[in-house]
Amino acid sequence: MTWDITGMAAVANIGASPREIFAALCAGRESRKPLKGFDPDKYRAAYAYEIDDRPNGGDIPRRATGWLTTVVRQAAADAGLGEDLSQVPVLVGTTMREQRSLELWWRDDAEVALDDLHFGTVLKAAFGASTTYTFAGACSASLYALGLATDLIELGIADTVMVAGTDAATESGFGTLDRVQNDIPDALRPFDATHKGMLMGEGAAAVVVQRTGTGNEPVHARVRGVSMNCDAHHATAPDPDGITRAMRDAYRRAGVGAQDIDLVMLHGSGTPLNDLTESSVLRHIFHGTGASPRMTAIKAMTGHTLGGSGLLSLVMAVLAMKEGTVPPVLGLTDPIPEAAGLDLVQGTPATADLTFAQIDAFGFGGINAVAILEAAR
Amino acid sequence: MSATGTTHTRNPSAREVVVTGIGLALPGVATCGDLLGPLPGKGGFNPATGLRGRDLRHKDRASRLALRAAGFALHDSALADADDAFTGAADSTAVVVSTNLGNADSVCEATDTITREGVSGLSPLGLPQTSSNVIAGWVAIRYRLRGPNLTVCNGVTSGLDALAWARNLIVAGRAEAAVVIGVEPAGDVATKVLGEQSTDAAVAVVLEPADAAASRGARPRATITGYARARNLAAAMAAAGVTDEQAVGLWLVDKAGAAPGHLRSTAHRIDLESQLGPLSGALGVLQCAAAAAHLDSGATGNALATAGGACHDATAALLLTPSPATRPPRQERGERP
Repeated sequence: MTWDITGMAAVANIGASPREIFAALCAGRESRKPLKGFDPDKYRAAYAYEIDDRPNGGDIPRRATGWLTTVVRQAAADAGLGEDLSQVPVLVGTTMREQRSLELWWRDDAEVALDDLHFGTVLKAAFGASTTYTFAGACSASLYALGLATDLIELGIADTVMVAGTDAATESGFGTLDRVQNDIPDALRPFDATHKGMLMGEGAAAVVVQRTGTGNEPVHARVRGVSMNCDAHHATAPDPDGITRAMRDAYRRAGVGAQDIDLVMLHGSGTPLNDLTESSVLRHIFHGTGASPRMTAIKAMTGHTLGGSGLLSLVMAVLAMKEGTVPPVLGLTDPIPEAAGLDLVQGTPATADLTFAQIDAFGFGGINAVAILEAAR
Repeated sequence: MSATGTTHTRNPSAREVVVTGIGLALPGVATCGDLLGPLPGKGGFNPATGLRGRDLRHKDRASRLALRAAGFALHDSALADADDAFTGAADSTAVVVSTNLGNADSVCEATDTITREGVSGLSPLGLPQTSSNVIAGWVAIRYRLRGPNLTVCNGVTSGLDALAWARNLIVAGRAEAAVVIGVEPAGDVATKVLGEQSTDAAVAVVLEPADAAASRGARPRATITGYARARNLAAAMAAAGVTDEQAVGLWLVDKAGAAPGHLRSTAHRIDLESQLGPLSGALGVLQCAAAAAHLDSGATGNALATAGGACHDATAALLLTPSPATRPPRQERGERP
């Protein structure tokens, strides 16, 4: 079975639509900014990839909710669904939910209610949606949600599903990450020998997935399969065995082999441990399958957008397949030795004929999801 | 799962999913059967003594509660051995957690520390619980459960939603079994946001396909038959397949559903929250445990659990029916003796 992607939307630090974000990735100009949302005196890290939409002089609650509403509305419009989603399940993957709002409520007395912590409340108010789910699945959350959406369609429970991811940086998350990183990164530099770690970004992405033939709008791309599993190994560190199983299972579900993959959207969080693990697994997976597929890592420009990052990578993969263009990894000039032989796009965009794309997303808790897309022609 | 398509979820060819184990880490409730009587009762889980142990060190309170409930449920379903090791198919066993405030205290404490001392005051050990899925991660690590790992943070319906997603994972072939945990820890943040005293509550149930449970000799307590999350109670019940209200023997309500007049049947009603305090993400899973106790006792009628309502974003309904082991023989047509 395959599933049609008929609607897409995204917002991030570098653009307010998939096209804007893709163009910025291709242009490849430095996008990190001095930390703005939190008191910089409290942190060692000086930079982040925030969305600059706060009023002057402080933070406000429900920013993740606002971006979610925007991308759901735009993806629904793109798919020709209109604004009434009362008959459409909406699956939202997130790392933090509205924990940033919880922080502002707890410390600064912002007006936030318990029902604001999950996204069903706004989805009901804005779109009349009731079959709504908030999944806290760390940084693989939105690809997990995509996999669950394909299950709903395959089981005959729904024909159309809205899948989304959204996250705003939290002080507790940004701060604890700052505390544990030995060497504080001043930029997110995936797979480069200078990589020091992860810096947070912010944003949201949404796609409409439909049973083949259900929609009236052109098909952007087809989902061939989504795997999901858990390392059951370490609370925060990745595990090569779990990631390898996730990739192999994704290929099995998609009915493809590693040799069929033309593009890999890397998880690429820029932590030395992720980059080493992901590149080592990919070298093993693609060993003996001919030329390496093109590979890129968008977090170099968007920062780590957490729960929505997998879906943002997926939306960028769709545009890469449409355009035959793969954006470069910003700042990548000296790849780590473990990435030797992997065709990481450097410097300028690469031109390529792309049929199958692999999207990686790995999260805290050792949870992995890998999606396989096929270009719509 | 949607109001429009649930006829498909009752497709008879789909695998039947049953409850094969229940574990409680809940003060004032010693056994599942206690859930059917007046609460809180004597005994039950004592967090002061029950949350100790090397295996719980450096973990947040919700994860510690969840690990205890999961352990009890795995033993109850005979999927853990004397060394507390998992004996099932670890590669294809899912963990599904329902919680709304599981890491709320951790998040707010870290914020306070940063405000007071900057990040140097934080403990590196606090990193996992900055992410809301920390509980499911620790349970998977403890029992080496490598299947799908889901955390449902979906408001008052979370527990019922988590059970439905666990069932979906099994029916879709992504998992051969699922450990579903509803958990909320007591804490200052939870108490403030709930507007009433928060309490420790964790409950776990093990779900398996009926045929797999039968072939390994497990004892099924109840079948998960229907589910929906919809705009109101009537829509949720209809989409969950509650076609014959007279067949409902036990109705597990929450505060919103406790109002009279919704269900014409004479079903016995139990409102767990009015007796135990706010249960939030733990509620639906605890309702499932109570439903299983009812059905397993041989009492008449199906069990219906509902949560949500007009003051929330939706209402969810979960219908549980007798398992193949306790079902009247007339429902077994097609099977040979």
